[in-house]
Amino acid sequence: MSSTQDIYDAIIIGAGTSGSYVALGLVQGGMKCLMLEAGHDFDKNSYPQSELDANSQLFWGGGVELNSSADIGFLRPKVVGGGSVVNQALMDRFDDLAFDSWREASGVDYFTREYMEQWYDKAAEQISIQTVPEAYRNGNADVFRNGFEANGYCYAPLQRAQKDCGHAQGNSCIVCLGGCKRDSKQSTPITGLKRAREAGLELRADFEVEHIEARDGEVRVGGRGRDGSPSNYRARRLVLAAGAIGNSKLLLASGFQSKLPALGHNFHTHPQYMNLALYEEPVDAFKGPLQSYKSADHHFRHSGFKLENVFAPPVAIAMLIPGFGRLHQRYMKKMRHFACIEVAVRDSSPGRIRLKRNGDLLIEKTLNDEDKRRRDNGRDALRNIFYATGASEIIEGNVAIGLHLQGGCNMGLSGGHSVTGPDFKLHGYDNIYTADSSIFPNAPGLNPAFTIMALSIKAAADILAEEGR
Amino acid sequence: MSSRNLSAAQLSGLVKAGDIVIPGDAELPSFSRSGASAHVDRMFDYMHDSDRDGLKLLFSIFNVLPAFLLRGILKLSEKDKALPGPLGAAARMINVGVKGVVMTLYYSDTDQVGINQAIGWDAKCDELDLPEGVEEVAAKEAPQALAAAASSEAERATMLARAGAAALSRLSVKERSAYVASLRDIVLRRREQIIDRIQADTAKSRSDALMSEIYGVLEALHWLEKRAPKLLADRKQYTPLSMLGKSSWTWYEPLGTVLIISPWNYPFIQALIPIASALLAGNTVIYKPSEHTPLEGLIEELLAEAQVPPNWVRIVYGDGSTGAQCVAARPDKVFFTGSTRTGRKIAAQASELLVPVELELGGKDPMIVFADADVQRAAAGALWGALTNTGQSCTSVERLYVERPIYDAFKSELTRQAERIVQAVDSDGSADIGEMTTGFQVEIVARHLEDARAKGAAVLCGEQWDGKSKAIPPIVLDRVSDDMLLAVEESFGPLIPLMPFDGEEEVIARANDSEYGLTASVWSKDLERARRVARRLACGGVSINNVMLTEGNPALPFGGVKNSGFGRHKGEHGLHGFCNIKSVLIDKDSNKIEANWYPYTTEKYRLFSDLLTHLFGRRRSALIKFAATGMKLEKYSDKAGKRGREQ
Repeated sequence: MSSTQDIYDAIIIGAGTSGSYVALGLVQGGMKCLMLEAGHDFDKNSYPQSELDANSQLFWGGGVELNSSADIGFLRPKVVGGGSVVNQALMDRFDDLAFDSWREASGVDYFTREYMEQWYDKAAEQISIQTVPEAYRNGNADVFRNGFEANGYCYAPLQRAQKDCGHAQGNSCIVCLGGCKRDSKQSTPITGLKRAREAGLELRADFEVEHIEARDGEVRVGGRGRDGSPSNYRARRLVLAAGAIGNSKLLLASGFQSKLPALGHNFHTHPQYMNLALYEEPVDAFKGPLQSYKSADHHFRHSGFKLENVFAPPVAIAMLIPGFGRLHQRYMKKMRHFACIEVAVRDSSPGRIRLKRNGDLLIEKTLNDEDKRRRDNGRDALRNIFYATGASEIIEGNVAIGLHLQGGCNMGLSGGHSVTGPDFKLHGYDNIYTADSSIFPNAPGLNPAFTIMALSIKAAADILAEEGR
Repeated sequence: MSSRNLSAAQLSGLVKAGDIVIPGDAELPSFSRSGASAHVDRMFDYMHDSDRDGLKLLFSIFNVLPAFLLRGILKLSEKDKALPGPLGAAARMINVGVKGVVMTLYYSDTDQVGINQAIGWDAKCDELDLPEGVEEVAAKEAPQALAAAASSEAERATMLARAGAAALSRLSVKERSAYVASLRDIVLRRREQIIDRIQADTAKSRSDALMSEIYGVLEALHWLEKRAPKLLADRKQYTPLSMLGKSSWTWYEPLGTVLIISPWNYPFIQALIPIASALLAGNTVIYKPSEHTPLEGLIEELLAEAQVPPNWVRIVYGDGSTGAQCVAARPDKVFFTGSTRTGRKIAAQASELLVPVELELGGKDPMIVFADADVQRAAAGALWGALTNTGQSCTSVERLYVERPIYDAFKSELTRQAERIVQAVDSDGSADIGEMTTGFQVEIVARHLEDARAKGAAVLCGEQWDGKSKAIPPIVLDRVSDDMLLAVEESFGPLIPLMPFDGEEEVIARANDSEYGLTASVWSKDLERARRVARRLACGGVSINNVMLTEGNPALPFGGVKNSGFGRHKGEHGLHGFCNIKSVLIDKDSNKIEANWYPYTTEKYRLFSDLLTHLFGRRRSALIKFAATGMKLEKYSDKAGKRGREQ
C-alpha cells in the first residue's frame, strides 16, 4: 500500500465542471490541491473515435446505468472533464421559477437571480459562450422552429460554450459528444482545469476513490489506480465533486448516512425522452450544430417540461427505435430522414440513491402521475410540432435518459432533510464540501452546467475566505 | 475468435441473438457477417460486474435455445409495458442489455464494413480549417417570423391560426377531445376565479354566473368531449342497388380556420362552447369577444393551461370594426352570435367574399301559459325565464301570454314572487339577479318602458326604478297591447309584459306575429295540446312546461328562424356546422367499364331503359328481371367500352 506523507490543503474528488472550478479558485488562492478522478485524461487527439469506445471509456458502467425499474438509463460521465467533455455545453442562467423553488425547498436565501448574477458573470469570464448560429442550422432545427411557429409556441436560440466550431467547413457538433476533437467545446480540460493545472493543481486520473474518512481535523481518502494498486491521501479539506451519484455512493460507502439521514435522497434527473419523426425529405439532424433551439414557452415552463432539438449517433438512435429485425433496419436506413426533439421533464418526484449489500448502486427513480403528465404534455406538443411540419410518422423513444443527475446531497439549513449547508459544508463536518449538482435542492428544469460552474466558483471563494486567503 | 470476457459458447449466444436483431439485407450485413462481435471486449472490459455477469448468463442461455424461442424472448422483451412491475423491469433489462450490446457493436461500424454508408451517417468534426479545394457549407438565410407581413392584428391572427391548422387537422377527434377534457378540469377547478372575472366585466349576480356560464360550459364540454369522436367518425351511407359493389361514406373534415364573434351577455359560455366545438371538428379559431365584456386574457390563459397551442385559438380584441377586419381576412366560416343589426352587416360583408356565415341573433320569445297549467310553477318559471341574467338573454321570456281564466291569479302570483327578487352584484351567491351590463341597453329598456306607460300599460312592480340606474329591478307590466315597443322589439332587460289570450288559434297567431323566431315555451297539463301548439310555432326551439331549457341540453341544436338568424349551434348539427362534410364513394379497382360510360348505342339505350322499368316499376318479379337486365347491360357495356363503337 503506497501512501504519501504530504498533507494537501485540499483534495478534490472528481474532475468535472464543479471540481475543475473549485480547484481553480483554490489553487489560484495559493492552496496546495490534489484532484482525484476515476476517469482517464484524454485530449482532442486521444478522445475515443467510435461510439463503442466513447460509451465504454467515457461513462460509468460501460455507457449506461439503469434505475431499479429499468426504465431510465443514466449517463454518468467518467473522464477528466466530466460532463463538460460529453455534454452539449448548453449554458442557461436559471430563472426566478427555478431559484424561487430552490429557496422554498432549501431555506437558503441566496438562491435569487439577483444574487447569483455575479457568480454567473464570473463563470462567463472563464469560457466562450456563443449563441448557436442560426445560419448553419440543420433540417432538424428547421423542423423545430417551423413547428413552434406554426403552433404559436415560443422558442429561443440556445447558448453554448463553444468557439470556432467550423460549421462553414461542414463540421457536425454531434461528434463532440465523445469529446471535442478540435477543442471548440469549452470543456474544462481546455479551460478551467487547464488553468488550475497551470497554477499548480496536481491531478491523478484513472484513480477511483473508494473510501473517505474525517478524523482529527483532517480528511483521509483511499482508493485504487487503474492497475488495482491502492493509495491513500490526506488533506485539511475535502471537496466532493463526483456528482449526484458519485458523491452519494462514496459517502454511503464510507458510512456517512448515520450522521446524514437525507444522504442519497432527493435525487432528480430531468428524465429526457427523445422522440423521432420521419420525413419524406432528408433532415440531416446530425449535421452542423447539433442543437439550435430550446422552448421558451411560458406555459411549457410552468407545465414542467422543456423541448430542445437534438439528435444522437447511430447506436443511440438504434436503441431509441423500438423493435428489431428487418423493420428496425429499414428505419435505421432512414437515419437522414429523422427529426428528433427531446422532452425533458422537470421531475417533481425525487428518487433515491442506495447501495446494495454488495456495495453496488441501486437507484430508485420513478415518474409519479404528475411527472408522467408533464412528459405526456411535452409529447403532445411534439406531436403538434411534427404534424405541423409534415412528418409521416412519429416514433416515441421508449427509455428515458437521465443526463442531469442532481441531488443526493441536497442543500438545506439543517441535517434532517438535507445534507449540505449554505456554506457548501456537509452538515456536521467543518472540512468536507460539495458544490456540484448533488447539492441541488430539487429539479430546476433547466440545463444545469452553468449554475454548477457559478456555484463552484462561489464555493471556492467561500473556502478561501475561510482560509483567510 | 476469442474474448477475455466471454466463453466461446457465450460468444455464439451473442451472435445468435445478434442475427435475430440484425438479420441484414441488401445494403446492411447481418450481425455475424459484420464481424462486430470481435470487439466485444472493448465493451465488456468497462462494464459493472453485475451487468457483465447478467449478460454472460443470458448469452449462455441464448446459445442453447432454439432460434424461435430466442426470437420469442426478444419479442416479449419489447412488450415490457404490458407486463406487471418486476416482470416489465426484467423484460426491459433484457431488452436494453441485448440490444445495447448488439447495436453498440454493430452500429459503431468499427471495422468500417459499410454500415455507416448504408444508414447515411457521415458526421465529422475536423480539427483543421477548410482544406484547399473543399467547399464551404453554405449558410442559410436568417429565418423569418411567421405572419411578419400582416397589416393588421386581425390579419396576423388569421395567418397564425391558418398555420396552426396543419397540426390540429391531423389529430384524431379523440386526441382533440383530450384538450377539451383538460379544459373542463381547469374550468371546474378555477371556477371561483372565473366567476370573479365574469362579474367584473358583466355585473351579473354570482349565482347567475355559476348556474348559467360555468354550469353551461361544463355540461357542454362534457358532452362534446364524450360524443364528438362518434359524431365525427366516418359514416357509412346508403348505396343504391344500381351501384351494387360500391360503398358510400361521409367524412367529417375540418373547414380550416373559423371566426367566432361573441356577444357581451354570456362572454364565457359564448367563448368556450363554440371554440371547443370548432377545435373538436379540427378547425383553428379566430375568436373576437365583445369589446364590452372581453374577459381580457382569461380565455387564453385557460386554453394555455389546457395545453392548447396558441395558434389553434387566436384572440383578437376590439369593436365592430375589428370584427369587420377579421371577416375581411377571409376565414373559412363566420360563426356570429349577437344582435340582428350587426348580424346583417356581417352577412353582407361575408356574402361578397362568399364566406359561409352562421348567425345566432336576437329574439322576442313568447311564453304561452294555458289555463290548466300549475299557476305557481308557471309563474316561477316565467320569472326566471324573464329575469335570468337580468333579462339579457336572447331567449329571455319577452312576451308572456296567459290564458284568460287564470290571468288574474297568475298576475298576482307573478307580482308577489317578483317583489321578493334580490338584486345585487354579490360575492356570496345570495342575490337572484345582478345589474345591467351596458349603458346603451339601459337606455333601450327605459325607452320601452316609457313607450308602454304612454300607451296605457300599468306597472305592477318595479316602478321605483329611476330610468337610469343599471340596477333595473323586475318590472311586471299589465294592460300591454301588441303595438307597444316592448311587445315587438327586443328589450333585453328585466321587463315582463303580461298579456291575456283566448284560445289556441289566437295565441299561436300572436306568438308567430313577430320578426323574430328563436325559442318559445308552452305550458299546459295537456301534453297533446302543448305538442300541437309547439309544432305550429315558427321558431328554432320549444320547451314544454319549462323555460329556456332547450339551450340547456348540449345535445340539442340551437338556432332560430326569421330575424333570429340561421344555422344551428351545439348538438350534432352544431358540430357538423364546423365540418366540411365530404362525400366519398369507393369502388374497387378493376378492368370493368361502367354502363353509363361511353360509347352510347341504341342497344345500350334499350337495355338501360329496360333496367329502369325493372328497377323502379312496381311488379313483383321486377327484382329478378332487374338482375338479369343488369348483368346483360354490364356485359355489353364492358365489351363495347373495350372494343369501341365499331364492334
